[in-house]
Amino acid sequence: MSSAETDPIPTTQPEAGTALLASGDRPAVWASGLVKSYGPTVALAGLDLHVAAGETVALLGPNGAGKSTTIGLLLGLLSPARGQVQVYGRSPSQAVAGGLVGAMLQDAGLMPGVRVGELLAMVRGLYPRPLPLDELAAIADLGPLLGRRADRLSGGQGQRVRFAAAIAGDPLLLVLDEPTAAMDVQARRNFWAQIHAFAGRGRTVLFATHYLHEADGAADRVVVIADGRKVADGPPAAIKANFGDQQVRFTLRQGSPALLAALDGVRTVEHDHARVTLHTSDPDATVRALVRSDLQWSGLEVGGPDLETSFLRLLGDQS
Amino acid sequence: MTGFIALEMRRSLRDIRYLVIAVAMPIGLYLLFTGLFGAHGQRAQGLPQPVELMIAMIAYGAMWAVFSATGPRIAHERAIGWTRQLRVTPLSAASALSGKLVTALAAALPAMMLVAVTAVLSHHVQLSAAQWLAMLAAMWASVLPLALLGLAIGYLAGDEIAFPLTMALYFALGALGGLWIPLSTMPLAMQDIGQALPSNGVAELGWRIAGGQAPVPKAVLVLTAWLLGSATAALLAYRRRNTQSAH
Repeated sequence: MSSAETDPIPTTQPEAGTALLASGDRPAVWASGLVKSYGPTVALAGLDLHVAAGETVALLGPNGAGKSTTIGLLLGLLSPARGQVQVYGRSPSQAVAGGLVGAMLQDAGLMPGVRVGELLAMVRGLYPRPLPLDELAAIADLGPLLGRRADRLSGGQGQRVRFAAAIAGDPLLLVLDEPTAAMDVQARRNFWAQIHAFAGRGRTVLFATHYLHEADGAADRVVVIADGRKVADGPPAAIKANFGDQQVRFTLRQGSPALLAALDGVRTVEHDHARVTLHTSDPDATVRALVRSDLQWSGLEVGGPDLETSFLRLLGDQS
Repeated sequence: MTGFIALEMRRSLRDIRYLVIAVAMPIGLYLLFTGLFGAHGQRAQGLPQPVELMIAMIAYGAMWAVFSATGPRIAHERAIGWTRQLRVTPLSAASALSGKLVTALAAALPAMMLVAVTAVLSHHVQLSAAQWLAMLAAMWASVLPLALLGLAIGYLAGDEIAFPLTMALYFALGALGGLWIPLSTMPLAMQDIGQALPSNGVAELGWRIAGGQAPVPKAVLVLTAWLLGSATAALLAYRRRNTQSAH
């Protein structure tokens, strides 16, 4: 079970200030050999995870890799079949009860029938040293949402309020499970800026994602998991250096997208509306071929490998 | 936890289903029934019509108040993930559960009081101060088994089914428990069923106290049995939903 036995926990609750200091010496998350199954399905097959205080770490993997199970275990929502997990030296349940952790879960919702401001005031009241309301409203960009009913928000607004609820207690560790799943591009950009603002206050952030560019852009370190195991762990740059193709990006103004795959060096083609990303083994050759072609395009970018490609390679190597 | 309970209560006061069904409907039914059956005459319990109906409607309103604050609400919160969000805050599971119960019991008070006020204003119902106090306190405490039953429904039933299910239970307990028509006018078999229901137990305590009698042991026994049964059901239902599931 949890490691309460090996690492005694003070019987009295420390003062809020001393809790902060004492917690700074310990890793935010320390998990070792986590095993978890649901019936015959193995969700985690011996996962180790270490997150230092103050780090922003991405937990990257496809659906079914074990990301949500990992998060459930370190929030005390689940218990491991084997292995140990500690959050700031405490069992997950104790860390949650002590207000050290805030979480934005994938399928979590807001209290119906109340206003956003009322809801956040209540949540703040559950924590020993919450964020001041004005600071909370500023970080989560709540503004006029405070007076709105929590059950009558758009998807993006609801996401902002759920983020606000997660940081309302000013937790040392913020855990996010695929937080931007329902956001558009602009909302995602704003959201990661808010996460940076929160992490910049010396807080630890652990987020699960399968948006690979998010892990690349937002994390200090990326832990890649697949099939319940850790398959890579390092700074985004190191993962990119080891794996991955080059990319050529542009906006296709005119011409048949079907021609793209035939350009020199191109391995795969991705479309985000008119924005095209070509994964290529030889970007020089691809750009030359693009110039010679009859296609109308603009906004050319040539870039190094991205996590998306690294990730696909990693998964390919696994099987 | 006080902040949690305070917000839950504020929510009840804005809940239209609670306001209409638990508060407005018993008052309306009271005025309707006293109009239909006449304000004079005696009924089964040997109480004046307006007193007996007042107590029946107090029980009726209190029943929906505790149901509405538990069953459909908890089922909905589970469906939209609020229950899950609350579990990753420092609020303990025990506090969340007891907060729900406190809120449900608190919601019963306005529903009960307003029927009493209506009875006093419209039919000049008179009881001694001690009787009022004992009657309301006994009836209030005895809706606890119904609140626990609502809790069990909230953790077992899905969001779609919880409201109709609670409604059906509420009407059944009201009708079979003798809150609409006195049990003594029903066939004997129905009387036996009625006397075994918690809704009848709640009203029976009130009728006895208003009639200057001590509560019958049978009603107390019935309510105690329901308390134990529904507490067990609520606990099992809660644990079923909160052990080792990823969702």
